[in-house]
Amino acid sequence: MAGATDMKLGLGRKKTVWIAAAIVAANGFFPALWILFTSFKTESELLRHPITIVPHDPTLMNFVRVFVDQPILLFLGNSLVVAGLSTALCIFVSALAAYAIVRLRIPGRNVVLSVLLAVSMFPLISLMVPLFQTMRTLGWLNTYPALVFPYAVLSMPVCTLVMASFFQDIPGDLENAAMIDGCTRLGALWHVVVPLAAPGVFTAAILAFVNAWDEFLLALTLSSRVTSRTLPVGITLYQGEFAFPWPIISAALIVAIVPVCALIAIFQERVVSGLTAGGVKG
Amino acid sequence: MSEIVLKNVVKAYGTTPVIHGVDLHIASGEFCVFVGPSGCGKSTLLRMIAGLEGISDGEISIGGTLVNDLPPRERDIAMVFQDYALYPHKTVFENMAFGLRLRKRPSAEIESRVREAAQILQIDHLLERRPGQLSGGQRQRVAMGRAIVRNPKAFLFDEPLSNLDAQLRSEMRVEINKLHKRLRNTVVYVTHDQVEAMTLADKIVVLSAGRIVQVGTPDEIYNRPAAKFVAGFTGSPPMNFLPCSIDADGAAILLDGGIRLPVPQARRAVCSKLAGRRLDFGIRPEHILAEAVGSDVATVPAHVQLVEPLGSDTLGLLRIGTGEITGRFAPEAPLSAGATIQAGFAMNKFHLFAPDTGDAIRDPGW
Ligand SMILES: Nc1ncnc2c1ncn2[C@@H]1O[C@H](COP(=O)(O)OP(=O)(O)OP(=O)(O)O)[C@@H](O)[C@H]1O
Ligand SMILES: [Mg+2]
Repeated sequence: MAGATDMKLGLGRKKTVWIAAAIVAANGFFPALWILFTSFKTESELLRHPITIVPHDPTLMNFVRVFVDQPILLFLGNSLVVAGLSTALCIFVSALAAYAIVRLRIPGRNVVLSVLLAVSMFPLISLMVPLFQTMRTLGWLNTYPALVFPYAVLSMPVCTLVMASFFQDIPGDLENAAMIDGCTRLGALWHVVVPLAAPGVFTAAILAFVNAWDEFLLALTLSSRVTSRTLPVGITLYQGEFAFPWPIISAALIVAIVPVCALIAIFQERVVSGLTAGGVKG
Repeated sequence: MSEIVLKNVVKAYGTTPVIHGVDLHIASGEFCVFVGPSGCGKSTLLRMIAGLEGISDGEISIGGTLVNDLPPRERDIAMVFQDYALYPHKTVFENMAFGLRLRKRPSAEIESRVREAAQILQIDHLLERRPGQLSGGQRQRVAMGRAIVRNPKAFLFDEPLSNLDAQLRSEMRVEINKLHKRLRNTVVYVTHDQVEAMTLADKIVVLSAGRIVQVGTPDEIYNRPAAKFVAGFTGSPPMNFLPCSIDADGAAILLDGGIRLPVPQARRAVCSKLAGRRLDFGIRPEHILAEAVGSDVATVPAHVQLVEPLGSDTLGLLRIGTGEITGRFAPEAPLSAGATIQAGFAMNKFHLFAPDTGDAIRDPGW
C-alpha cells in the first residue's frame, strides 16, 4: 500500500518536473530560435509586417558578411584562448581550495564558505576602475592576461562551491588508501578525488568557460584593441549603413554559440561516461 | 625486521585527549589485535601507526625507523579499511597495481605480482572487473590483495570483516589466518569480534578509554584477566561477577545471601590476606557446573530462571543468593526453568577483583 502511494507521488512529482523543465526550456529556446531564424533572413524581411517567424527566402548572405566585415575568426581564437586559459586556471585553484575546505580541519570553514559566497555577489562594475588601473600599471591592457586573470578569479567562488559539494561525497578513506599506496596528499587529490568527482569538475569547468565566453564589460574595457578583442565585443562592432544590422549580428551570435554548444556536448559525453564507468559503490 | 614500537604515544584532538600515553612493543611477524569498546581509540591508534593521524606526543617506530614525521607512503605499510576503500574508477587489477605503479616498478613485475596475489586470494578471474561489480566478500579480498602485492613491513587492518555476514566473516577469518601463517608479516588488527581476536592473535591489546588495560596472549587475556574490565569484555557470555567478602582465615568466600564457597588449599594463602575486604568474585560461565561433582567444587543451591539451548551447549540463567549468574552447560544437562539445582562452582578457577579500581587480585600461580 505504502509502495503504491509512493509511486503515485513519484509520478506526480515527475510530471511537475517535466512541466517546469518545459517552461525553462521554452524560455531559453525561444530567443535562441528567434536568433537562428533571423540569421537566415534578409534585413527587409525582418522589418516586414506582418512578422514572419520562419524565413521566407532564407539566405546565407548574413554569414558571409559575418566573416567578411570583421576578423571574426581572430575574435573566436581570442575568446577560445581567454576562456580556455581562465577556465584551466580557475579549476586548478578552485579544486585545491575546495579540497582544502572539505578535507582539512580548518577552523571556521563555514566562515570561509560564506565569505566566498559574499564575494561572488560583488557587483562587477565596482571592480572596473581598480581593475583598469591595475592592468594599465602592469602594462597588460589589450593582452590576454588582462582578461584571463580577472575571469579566472571571478569564477572561482562558484567553482569552489560546486566542487566542494562534489568532493564532500568522496569517502576520506579512499584518499587515505591512496596515501598509503604511495601518493602525496595532492597526488591523492589528483589520482582519486578528481577522477571520482569528474562530473563536479566538468560542471565547474563549463560554468567558468561560459562565464568567460559571455563576458562583455571587462572585455570592452580592458581588451578592446582588434588584436586581442573577444567575441562579445567583436559582435557589437558590426555596423549597418542605415539600420542596426540585426540579421548579421544574429548570424555572428550563431557563430559564437556553436563552439560553446559543441564543447558542452563533448564534456557532457565525458561526464556521463565517467559516471557510468566509475560504478561508485554497489 | 619489522617490529613496531610505541613509546608513550599521546593523541589529543584540540584539548581533548583521546590516547593517554600508550607503550607497546609488537614483535616482527607478530599478529597483534586491538580490542576494546567503541570509542576507546583503537582506530585512532592504528591510524597513528599508519601516519594518517599525527601524534601529539611520544614516538612510533616501524622496523627500527622513527616514523613520527614520515608520511604514510614512506612508512612501508599497507592498510585494509572497514569499507574497503577500493578505487571505484579502477579495475581490480589496477586497484592492486596502483601502489606498485606509484613506486615505478617495471610492468612485467607488476603483472606477475598482481597475478600471484590474485591467485593466493582466488580473485584471478575478477581482475578486469570494477569494484562496483563485486560482492562484499570479493571486495574484501581485493582490499587484502591490494595490501599484500606490495609486500610491506606491516599490515594494518581496521575492522576488516565487520561488513560481512557471519558465515563469510568466519571464512575470511580463516583466510586471514592462513595468509599470515604464509607471509609472516607483522599485523596490527582492530576488531570488535572476540572470536577474531582469540583465533587470530599472537598478542591481544585490550584498550579502554585511550589506555592499555592489558597486553597478553589470547590465553592470558582469557584465563588471567588483569582487570574486571578485561574479564567482562572477553568470553560470550562474559564472566559473572558477584559481590563477596572473605572470611577470617581465607578458607571461604562469602557471597551475599549467606552463601559460603570453600576456597581450595592452594588459594588460601592469598585469600587470608584479603580477609574482611569487600571484593568482586568472578567466575566464567563454563566454570559453573550443573552437578556438583569432583574436588574443589563448591555446591550452591541455584534457582533456574531461564534456559537457552544453543545446540552445542546450553546457557542457563541462575539465581544464586541475591545475585544472578549465567552458566554454560552441556546440552544434556538436567536443566529446566523454575527448578532448583545444586550448581557447582569450580573453585580453582575463580577470580577476585578490587571493586574500586577493578584490578585483579591474584597470585602469580593462579
Ligand atoms: N577528528 C576527531 N576529532 C575529535 N575527536 C575525535 C576525532 N576522531 C576521533 N575522535 C574521538 O576519539 C575517540 C577514539 O575514536 P576511535 O575512532 O579511535 O575509536 P574506536 O576505538 O576505533 O571506536 P570504534 O570501535 O567505534 O571504531 C572517540 O572518543 C572519538 O570521539
Ligand atoms: Mg574504529
